[in-house]
Amino acid sequence: MRISRRDFLKAAAAVTAAGGLTPAVLAKLARILRGEGNPRVIWLQGAGCDGCAVSFLNSVHYATADDLLVNTLDVEFHNNLSAAAGDLAVSAVQAAGAQPGYVLVIEGAIPTGAAGKYCRLWPGTSMHDGVVQFAQNAGFIIALGACAAYGGTPAGAPNPTEAKGVGEILGSDPRLINVPGCPSHPDWLVGTIAYLLANGYAPPLDAHRRPLAYFGRLIHDNCFKRRRYCGQGVFASQLSDQGCMEFLGCKGKHTRSDCYMRKWNSGGDGEYGVNWCIGARSPCLGCVEPTFPDGMSPFYVHLPAEKQSEDGKSADQGQEGVSAPPTLRRPDARPSLKADDLRGALDAHDHHH
Amino acid sequence: MPTTITIDPVTRIEGHLEIEVTVDSVGGEQKVVDAKSAGTMFRGFEIILAGRDPRDAAQYTQRICGVCPVSHAMASCLNLDDAFGVTSPDNGRILRNLVLGSNFIQSHILHFYHLSVLDYVDTTGLLDMSPWTPRYVTPDMTTGPTAAALVSNYVTALALRRKAHQMGAIFGGKLPCTGSFVVGGCTEVVTAEKIADFRTLLTEIRAFIDNTYVPDAATLAGLFPSYYGIGTGCGNLLAFGAFDLDATGANMLFNRGRYTDGASHSVDPAQITEYVQYGWYTPASGNKNPAQGVTEPDADKLGAYSWLKAPRYADKVHETGPLARMWVNGEYVNGISTLDRIVARANETKLIADTMDSWLDELTPGAATCAPSTIPQQAASMGLTEAPRGALGHWMNIDGSVITRYQVVTPTNWNASPKDDLDQMGPIEAALLDVPVVDVTKPVEVLRVVHSFDPCLACAVHLTRPDDRAGGTRVLIHPGIL
Repeated sequence: MRISRRDFLKAAAAVTAAGGLTPAVLAKLARILRGEGNPRVIWLQGAGCDGCAVSFLNSVHYATADDLLVNTLDVEFHNNLSAAAGDLAVSAVQAAGAQPGYVLVIEGAIPTGAAGKYCRLWPGTSMHDGVVQFAQNAGFIIALGACAAYGGTPAGAPNPTEAKGVGEILGSDPRLINVPGCPSHPDWLVGTIAYLLANGYAPPLDAHRRPLAYFGRLIHDNCFKRRRYCGQGVFASQLSDQGCMEFLGCKGKHTRSDCYMRKWNSGGDGEYGVNWCIGARSPCLGCVEPTFPDGMSPFYVHLPAEKQSEDGKSADQGQEGVSAPPTLRRPDARPSLKADDLRGALDAHDHHH
Repeated sequence: MPTTITIDPVTRIEGHLEIEVTVDSVGGEQKVVDAKSAGTMFRGFEIILAGRDPRDAAQYTQRICGVCPVSHAMASCLNLDDAFGVTSPDNGRILRNLVLGSNFIQSHILHFYHLSVLDYVDTTGLLDMSPWTPRYVTPDMTTGPTAAALVSNYVTALALRRKAHQMGAIFGGKLPCTGSFVVGGCTEVVTAEKIADFRTLLTEIRAFIDNTYVPDAATLAGLFPSYYGIGTGCGNLLAFGAFDLDATGANMLFNRGRYTDGASHSVDPAQITEYVQYGWYTPASGNKNPAQGVTEPDADKLGAYSWLKAPRYADKVHETGPLARMWVNGEYVNGISTLDRIVARANETKLIADTMDSWLDELTPGAATCAPSTIPQQAASMGLTEAPRGALGHWMNIDGSVITRYQVVTPTNWNASPKDDLDQMGPIEAALLDVPVVDVTKPVEVLRVVHSFDPCLACAVHLTRPDDRAGGTRVLIHPGIL
């Protein structure tokens, strides 16, 4: 079943193209993927909504979720997907955590109130203690989504459970990468994992530990509505109108992500998404920013001056020295996992019996 | 000799759940003689919502659940429409239905193939890798070509559920968590091109439902016929209804209704009462309708075992979900059991997808999708709809143009509820009674019954089990699992 990793290699190539990926590095990645087993992932869910896990299942642009799950990654524990339950599942994830070098994906916030008892992974282990435990042997730690990265909605005032993001728990940790969003875009996660495996180190990050390749540019500066409407002084006066939505609460001036280009819910290999919030005439919520949601709401009101970030006050100031977002389109079509693969596996199964 | 089995975490659900069953020999067969479903979760959403701009509710409440965010958006928008005194234009109503329907389809496909099927199939030789290993293998599991076909369709279904989300994003902006649901309608507009794109995807998805999902559900039912007699439970069904067919709110694809003590009845939301004898709440928190709900925690309460209250309709235990919707609308009346839930869910998926195609014809390109409105100074409102896994209700009070109170009762609040003050077990608990368990180290029979309800405890903040709570955990106000 562990067939070719060519798809993931191609994804890595696409992701790292702008970062100066050399043939030597690619060859190294090929060797890693060919020779040493699949990259291992442990996925823990805390005070979240499983929305980032569902969003991950929408992956298709770099690689499909089935390709990643079946052929590319060893996802050693995932509460939504694991076949085992109860003690059997717990023993599996404990065994996996004892072997160093995995990518730890954390989804959901970490409540610290009541000594961590607001969130329990399994009997005897709170989310807080689980994060600390599984961080020990992790090669890299990805805080996926607004909640894991910065606390997100559970940490919204008055933060009843004293929920925190991973960085607040682990402190300054060079292995930590925040991949925020509510939910996070599947490409941001898959691309980041591909980069880690290709290079063995974290991609260039901003001050909030977000990969600059995805979170480097202000939405407003690159929004089609800026060219078409804002620059002409055309502003939407009510929801569903045409025009720039700044005065209806759009947070695009204060939000750095590539949604304007990548969009959401891609339909195929290398394709952009079919739509995005602003494309559907709904204001950007600023969900990738550390201040989401409190610093970005009310959502349908022009952001008050006291909530505006430095980014927003100097909207035209791009990140100096940041390379262009990576090329997204891959030239060659890619076969998906085929029923033949499964039939072959069945034949082997029958033969075995 | 009774044996107690604790399954924690219950995987292949949304969120987290602990199930405890006691198994004993009954007439020479090992069966479940007692069951406890412990919803042990707390995030504090209602507390977080208080004091905020009411219009933001549709965005905040979507973050309750990443699997059924659109249902929370729908309940919240109906709630806001009610409070603001606004009615969506037909275009906006239909767009909401199309995005909601898209999410029903992805959720039902996900449930059957990715959350449920592995309880019935021996995947040895087919999926010999994590996260599908380790796993339970029992002698009654399906093997051979049928197993291979189901596993192959497991993989195919991942793509089809993704396409259902892609379809919904055409009018929803993105999924999960749509931006386009707002008070008064939908922000996205209708164009002929968008209709065509939507229909192209819908046609492909309908072919999968017709040719793969519905037949696979029938295949599973044919292989495990005993499960038409296992997991019956309380026998009462409740549906709030969803998918408004016109602006009156009176005609829906799934109409509101219930089936209680063997007869059909209408639904009056005022008849809903939440009990707390077995929940960690003070007596003053019990015996109240959600519209007047009070929630004072008592983490050290003797005899309690769950952070879920026990909602009951006219003091009767009711199950909610696809089977309830299909039953009260006369679309499926075969029976109430583990398999009936699975087959009714598949049939419902087809019904929704087929109907969505006709809704596309009712859209008017260029016509308004959203009606303007203003925030009321004061309001008391309600929004009832359906999530893929059952009846969903939002209740709200506005004062001084901000939210002063927001209450949510989710489907799993009903299905996974603990006993009530009349000592009646919750629906999942009742459904687990008499379930045969051949091997207590491989309780797949229990998982089959639990999974048939598609429990959704996402947005979970898991509190401690009773024996972990020596420190006396204190929780702020909250009615349930959010």
